[in-house]
Amino acid sequence: MLVVDDEVEMQRALRTGLRYHDFDVRTVGSGEEAVREAAGWRPDVILLDLGLPKMDGFATLRALRPMTRAAVIVVSVMPGEKDKVRALDAGADDYVVKPFGTEELVARIRAVLRRQADVTSGEPVIRSGDLEIDLARRHVSVNGRAVHLTPTEYELLRYLALHAGKPVSHTTLLRQVWGEYAVGDKYNTRYVVAQIRKKLGDDPANPRYIVNEPGVGYRLEG
Amino acid sequence: MRASGGPARRSRALSNALLLVPPLPSPQRPDRRPEGRLPRAATRPAAARLLAPYAVAIGGAIGVTAAIGVITSLASVPGLSALYVLLVLWLGARWGRGPAVAGSIAAFLLYDFYFVPPVGTLTVRGPAELLELVVLLAIALVTSQLAASLRRAQAAAEAIARDSRALYELATATLRANELAGGLEMVSESATRLEGVDRFAEVSIVSGQATQLAGSPLTADEIKQAQWSFDNGNAVGIAIKDGQVVPMKNFGPAGNTAYLPLRSGVVVVTLGATRSDPGALRMLAALIGLSDLLLDRQRVALQAGRARELEASDRLKTGILSSLSHELKSPIAALRAGLTALATPQAGLAEEQRELLTDLDHQATRLDRMVGDLLALSRLEAGVELEKEPHGFADLVGGSLHQLKTQLEGREVVVRIPEDLPPVEGDELQLGRVVTNLLENAIEWAPRDGRIEIGAVARDGRIEAWVENDGPSIPPADLGRVFDTFWTRRTRGTGLGLAISKRVIEAHGGTIRAENRRRGPRFTFTLPLARVVV
Repeated sequence: MLVVDDEVEMQRALRTGLRYHDFDVRTVGSGEEAVREAAGWRPDVILLDLGLPKMDGFATLRALRPMTRAAVIVVSVMPGEKDKVRALDAGADDYVVKPFGTEELVARIRAVLRRQADVTSGEPVIRSGDLEIDLARRHVSVNGRAVHLTPTEYELLRYLALHAGKPVSHTTLLRQVWGEYAVGDKYNTRYVVAQIRKKLGDDPANPRYIVNEPGVGYRLEG
Repeated sequence: MRASGGPARRSRALSNALLLVPPLPSPQRPDRRPEGRLPRAATRPAAARLLAPYAVAIGGAIGVTAAIGVITSLASVPGLSALYVLLVLWLGARWGRGPAVAGSIAAFLLYDFYFVPPVGTLTVRGPAELLELVVLLAIALVTSQLAASLRRAQAAAEAIARDSRALYELATATLRANELAGGLEMVSESATRLEGVDRFAEVSIVSGQATQLAGSPLTADEIKQAQWSFDNGNAVGIAIKDGQVVPMKNFGPAGNTAYLPLRSGVVVVTLGATRSDPGALRMLAALIGLSDLLLDRQRVALQAGRARELEASDRLKTGILSSLSHELKSPIAALRAGLTALATPQAGLAEEQRELLTDLDHQATRLDRMVGDLLALSRLEAGVELEKEPHGFADLVGGSLHQLKTQLEGREVVVRIPEDLPPVEGDELQLGRVVTNLLENAIEWAPRDGRIEIGAVARDGRIEAWVENDGPSIPPADLGRVFDTFWTRRTRGTGLGLAISKRVIEAHGGTIRAENRRRGPRFTFTLPLARVVV
């Protein structure tokens, strides 16, 4: 995996920590180097700090996305949710806020890799606990009991299922389910998610399937 | 009768004033003053001008008499005296009553002298001749009266047309003036050029701040008076009625200052000793209307500027806090990454060493919490805007419970939120922080096998929510202090969690309080309901 961070201390700590967990790690300090490494070395995961000098994290992400299928986990000290949304919408697979512990980071990396494997395997049935979504038959069931969703509700759930485990922003959901014109109207997603939860028998205060990502959007538990 | 004097003179004065309005896009203020108050229209000696019509009248009568004489010497034509009627008609229409009457009398005398037997005398015989005189006089009076009123009507119409054009041009010029104060100055100057208006000043009042923008300088007392007039919506001295400025009855002697409150300011006017005519008062009202428009535009421009400044300072605050956050958090990030890297079993350190590293990591985490709380508090105190949207309270609780999953492991958490609870209006992240803070507080104090409850109900158009636990009561003396910054009951707390919660709730227009139930403490807070139903 490739670690992109301009601080040497951070590079050293991550290289050490991730190697203990059997990752093959290379570190670079700038976006330009990251693009070069990604093209030549082809890492599976890129850990990308947003606060890079010169070519910043977003620019690097935009440059990386078309040339690599590596999972990109964006890292930032900013707890600002706007950055999270921007990074996710720009193609990041996950987002981790600094400071974090090695264990936590490793868990996130493994989740991203697992998800990537699931997607490439093309499994037509996606499971989240008792929830089962059969993409081929457009069939949704909880504990074997069929759940009838409206086309909009199904589309939203399908999109979350296709990205199970990954936070999906309101913007992306609105664009994917309703279309470009609906972007900006978060009431739509909130309303439809509330309806889906009701039908799935999910409690918004303690959701088992669709989890709130405060300030970002929703995530289907993997 | 000043029928042709007043309005015509005034209009000339105004047209003169308009010549001073700068070319439209030019931003410069009209600082060239007119020389003298009013240019005199008369150029010839007044007496000659006054007597000329009478000379014409008498001359005309002589001429007509001569014509009648010539005609009668050639042929006997009856009723030629009717020619005088034509003359008198023309005199009345052209010069008015005086010359017409003079012409009538002259005609009568001449006709009597030359044509009425006995010729050569002025003897009047019988009523028929007198009647002729009366008829001629009557024609003279009626015609001149008619002509005069026609002329008056025409003059008035011309005056109104000129006024309207003048006002229109002034309005366009002032509204296009780049600097509103310049436009106000133009209005003020036009007003002081009106008959009977000694002073015309405009005071803008924006956010309670009175500033004179145009006209001759006012004293501090006068500005205070203007402010009072604006605050109370009370006009002093003058009012506008039927599109005309009307001095109030109880308004003292001439030279007193009048105050008229407008939408965004006050116009201060001093009427002079000479009484203004209705036309001038109408024009004054129109100029006050124009001032109103300009002052209001000034206010809007000022407020827009202020909003931009506020936004800029908001961006600055956010920028400073962001870079501060980066500077403070980066070292902690490196610390935690390094400590946790070494603490993993794969690093091959002894159990004792790993424990030490884990302890150090906890300290680093605590430091991170403190820095985060401090930054959150400064952000709240800097007054950075909240992003308010409707949110289901259950969603907020769900987010916090999910975030605290590991800490809540093995705890009994009861959530009491009615399914039909209306949504709250607020900032998702900030409110989520409040719920998380209160739950963390409860986790801290509740006994391991104790119970934590979070719930909400709609009450009095608001949402009342609570978080309670079975832990020890808060000493009564501390109940009021728990929300103070840096106050904490814990040895390891930052003393900021509850302070932040209080600020967030208050920024949403809600209240938060702590109390003791029979079994443990309870924190209750209120939030506004969303206006849009999700």
